[in-house]
This record gives sequence, C-alpha cells and structure tokens, in this order.
Amino acid sequence: MRARVVLEVARTTFREFWRSPEAVFWTYGFPVLMAVVLGFAFQPGALPPVPVAVVAGEGTGPVVASLRQEARLQVEAMSAAEADHALARGRVALLLRLDAGEPVLRTDPTRQEAELARLLVERTLRGSSSGSDATLRAEVEDRPGARYIDFLIPGLVGLNLLGAGMWGVGFNLVQMRTQHLLRRLAVTPMRRAEFLFGYLLGRFVLVVPESVAIASFGVLVWGVPCRGSVLAALLLATVGGFAFAGLGCLLASRTRTIEGIAGLMNLFQLPMWLLGGSFFDVDRLTGVMRWASEAMPLTHVNRALRDVMLEPGTLADVAMPLGILAGFAAVCFALAMRLFRWQ
Amino acid sequence: MTLRADVIDPGAGDGDAAIELVGLRKVYRKGKQTTVAVDGLDLRVERGEVFGLLGPNGAGKTTTIEICEGLTVPDSGRVRILGSQWRTGVDDAIRARIGVCLQETKFHEKATVRETLQLFRSFFATGRSLDEVLDLVSLREKADARQSTLSGGQRQRLAVATALVGTPELLFLDEPTTGLDPQSRRQLWDVVRAFQDRSGTVVLTTHYMDEAQQLCDRVGIVDKGKVIALGTPDELIRSLDAEHFVEVDFAKEANGSLDAAPFAALPDVAAVAREGSHVVLTVRSVHTALPAMLAMASAQNLPIAGLATRHATLEDVFVHLTGRHLRDEGKP
Repeated sequence: MRARVVLEVARTTFREFWRSPEAVFWTYGFPVLMAVVLGFAFQPGALPPVPVAVVAGEGTGPVVASLRQEARLQVEAMSAAEADHALARGRVALLLRLDAGEPVLRTDPTRQEAELARLLVERTLRGSSSGSDATLRAEVEDRPGARYIDFLIPGLVGLNLLGAGMWGVGFNLVQMRTQHLLRRLAVTPMRRAEFLFGYLLGRFVLVVPESVAIASFGVLVWGVPCRGSVLAALLLATVGGFAFAGLGCLLASRTRTIEGIAGLMNLFQLPMWLLGGSFFDVDRLTGVMRWASEAMPLTHVNRALRDVMLEPGTLADVAMPLGILAGFAAVCFALAMRLFRWQ
Repeated sequence: MTLRADVIDPGAGDGDAAIELVGLRKVYRKGKQTTVAVDGLDLRVERGEVFGLLGPNGAGKTTTIEICEGLTVPDSGRVRILGSQWRTGVDDAIRARIGVCLQETKFHEKATVRETLQLFRSFFATGRSLDEVLDLVSLREKADARQSTLSGGQRQRLAVATALVGTPELLFLDEPTTGLDPQSRRQLWDVVRAFQDRSGTVVLTTHYMDEAQQLCDRVGIVDKGKVIALGTPDELIRSLDAEHFVEVDFAKEANGSLDAAPFAALPDVAAVAREGSHVVLTVRSVHTALPAMLAMASAQNLPIAGLATRHATLEDVFVHLTGRHLRDEGKP
C-alpha cells in the first residue's frame, strides 16, 4: 500500500465532502444542533413558572397580589377579552375571574400545565385567606450524572457515530458507483486497500473531533460529567465509528442505486435509533427486544461511553465492548472487501 | 502440457501486438434471458495504430473493449494486452501501461480539473506532469475550474486527460465523442492524433462513421458480437462493388411513368434502388454513369428535380454487409 495514493484518495474524498455545505451541515452541524435542542428540552433545573391570567376588575388587586407571592406562577392582569384569547391560544394555563367576589377558575384540561396551575392557584389563595396551610417539603433530583441530560449526551455521541459512519461511508460509495467513477478507478493501478483506507480516512477525519465537540458541549454547558478515561472515550469513538463505517461499507458493497442504499441504511438504522439505548436505558428491555438490542453495535457504544463519562470507567473497564466493536468492524470490512463490486 | 498446448494453439500470440483477441465470447444472463454480447470475436491491433471498432449500439463494442481493459471477464477466449494476460498476477502492471476513458464517467463534482488529474496521477509510479497533460487536452485555462462547471466537451477532454497522466502505451476510448458538438469532437480527434504521434496505440469505439473514417488507421466493423469486416477505411470502402452513389429526385408528376429498372443496364451502374420519386444508383464511376443516366432520363421525358453524387462511406459498407443502418438500432 502506497501512502501517497492513500493520502491522495483521502484528500479527494475529504474535499468532495467539505465542499458540499449541505452535506457538512447534515453530517456534522445537525447532530450538534440536535444535541443543543434536546439538551435544552431536557435541561436540568426548575420548570419555568406557569402563566396565569387574572381578569382585571373590581377587587382583583389583592388576588393578583397574593398570587404573585407564589414564585411558580407568572401572573398577568388583563381584560376579559384578552384573557379569553390568551387561554384559547395556550399562552396562559389558567384564567381567573371574580364572580360576585368569588374566584372562578377556568382551564383547558387538554393542557398539561393546567392541573399544576389550578393546584398552585388554589393553594395560594387558600393559604392567604386562612394562613394555616402548611407548606409541603419537596425534593428534586438535580445532581450531575443522574439527570436525563447526562444520560442523553453519550447517547447522542453514539447516534452521531452511527450516522456519520453509515451514511457518510456507505452512501457516497454507492453514488460513486452509479456515476461509474468506481469503474474508472478500477482500471487504474490503484489497489483496493489503498482506495478503502484513503476513502475512510477522508470521510473519518472529522468524526472523532465531532464526537468530542458534542461531548464537550454537554460537559461545558450542562455540566455533564466526564469521570472516566478520556483516552478510552476517544478510542470508543474511533472504534465505534469504524464499526458503523464497516456496516455502511458492507451495505454499499453491491448496492447499485441511491434509493437502494437509502432503504438499506434506514432498515439498519431505525431499529438502532429505537433500541440502541440512545434515548432510554435498554437494560429495562426484556425478551426478543433485549436480545435485538444487545446485537446492535450502537448499544455497546452507548453503554461503554456512559461507563467512561458518567462513571469512572477505565480503558480496562471498556475493553470488552471495544473488542466486540472491533470484531464487528473487522467482520464487516472483510465481508465488504469480498463482496465489493466496482461496477 | 501447458507448453505443448501453447505450441499447437493456432491462436497463440507473438506478444508483439498491442492487443490480441482470439475466440472471445461473452454471454450475459438475466433471469431466463441470455444475450450473446461477444460471439467468437478475433482481433489483432498493432502497436502504433489508431484502431476503431465501428458498429451499432448493442453490437458488442463496449463489452469487447471492457474485456480488453480487464473490467469484464470473458466466458471463453484468449486476451493478450501488450503481451500480458489479465488475472495472471500482473493486472496492476498492465493497468500501469494502459489509459482508459470509459463511457459516461462522472468525476468528483467538487474537484477542480487539476485536483482530479492529481488524484489519477498519484496512482501511477511514472507519468506526465499535470501541466503537460493539461496542455495535451487544452484545458490549461480550466485547470482551477470545478468539474461541475465544465461543458460536455471539456468534461470529455478531462476524462481523456485522466487516461493520459500515466504515460500509457495503449489508450482505450469508449465512444469518446458521443453527444459532443462538432468543434469538441475535432478537439478530441486532435488529442488522439497527438497521442499517436508519440507512438501510442489507440483503440476506440464509435458509431460515427466519419469519426472512424477520419481518425482511424484501421477499422473493424462489429455486428452481433463478431468482426464482420476489417481493414483501412479506404480498403473497406473499395471492397464495395461500386463506391459512388448518384441520387436523383425526379419531379413528382413523373412518378406514374417512372420505371427505374432500365437504369440498371447503364454502363458502370451496379445497383438501383427506388423510393417513390427518389432513385439511388450505385455506380463504379460517376463520369460514365452520370451522362448515361441523364441521357436516358431525357429520352424517357422524365423531368429531374434534384441531383446529387456522393462517395461511399463506412455506413454504406455496413449497410452492404448487414442490410441495416448503423444508427437504426439502440437508442432512438
């Protein structure tokens, strides 16, 4: 294998990718964006205050004042028409008006916040009138490492490896085949291994840095811990990425159309999205589902990544999943090389 | 045993030729349908010549050339490329000595002309400098343009350029000018001639008879997987019994009384074909047949609306051999 050829193929491959802004976005920008969006959706901390409307009129002053004592409520006084509109549009969860001095609460029962708003308002009003209601003591789980965001970030790194590995590698191979470029390369003295290594290098040079970016984002913004071996985490990203790239190569080894490869990719990716343990803990699965989950490389990537991020896992602790993933990659690449068709 | 077999094999090559094909056969099977693409084809291409495989779509030209390039494995038959055989452990050595331009290759869209050439240049241990190749195909001013901005002719010249970066001895061009405008075609012909001037061998396929006639030293006419005629374009045309045509359009009002048969008896007329008021005489010499034809038309009181003469082309050779036209089949 000649390094010059490998590097030249790698450069060409990388350039082709880098010069397609939309491909760069979907492969590298989108996963980061998703991490940000999902992260904010599940970010740790208190829920935002519940918006409540009070219809302004005679005698509502004290009511508004007492409701404003409750920090979890965001109270706004407005006209009856404005309040109706706000409730209809879901801008407030509850509408309060005084009927002959008696408070009347109106809520939209299909909104989840409605019940919370009702309870809070009732309690606040009762408390202020009698002054006898004892406050309930409540505890929230907010220690880093135990929150959903902590669970989610390693899972998103895994999903990114899955996407970049399979789509980035498999899809383009088929595209090069459909445009007869593979055939053209096959009639040069370029060797198969040179092409494969160069191609993977070109497609892969950004995969590990991107995993680092997603994980760092979680660590820096949400305080997701990284308690184990960083080296093990990097190794996991690399080997995991190669496992998915191997699968992508294998699926692309004979596929002749873009539609064909898109279908095959989805066939293999969707189950992994669902059962690969990125969004929920697969250890709670049983039976066939559990068995299927264990057969997926993503499950092993995710579990091992959590071991080295959320727990003080060492390289030795993740040697087993690393071995499984390396074996999976080796089998996939070996099969892909055997089955591969230039045309 | 192997030696002996080689000695008695009548097709055993001397290794001097650029290409030797003996008894080549390739059948494609798709379901229950079998298509004989190449049917016992023999061919020898000498070093230093531009050789054209001429034939209609589906004649087996591309399959033949892809067997030569090592892309397709024949079912039977012997292939020698520059004295070597495919799949005997020297494939990369052969590939290093040939240049290939396939049909309809799309290179990396985002790569510039120079970058594409640089990639292909890296595959070869020895070869031309990129500037030299750019000059050969007149793409120097487009060196930094991306593939996606090139015209059809420029793309095709780039494809040829990728075949030239490794200083090949033998160049394969599969329908290099299909779909190009006349100017782009001429530019490509110049590239081919320049390559031949540096003692290169070229094998090209085409279904353009003018291309074969102007560019090729020798032509093999291929039909239904076989070479049915072989020779220089002039030899092939001279092999026709008569190599000139006189095409006459008689006035429509003469249609009823027109009888073309007597023209066949005129001196040097080999054949007569009639289609309505259009009559084509195949003649050996225009200067004897034409006055005789005009005299007969005048005597029979047949007014002439149009008259043209032309020299026979390879198309006529093909029609003569197969009874069909080159462009009749395949793509509409």
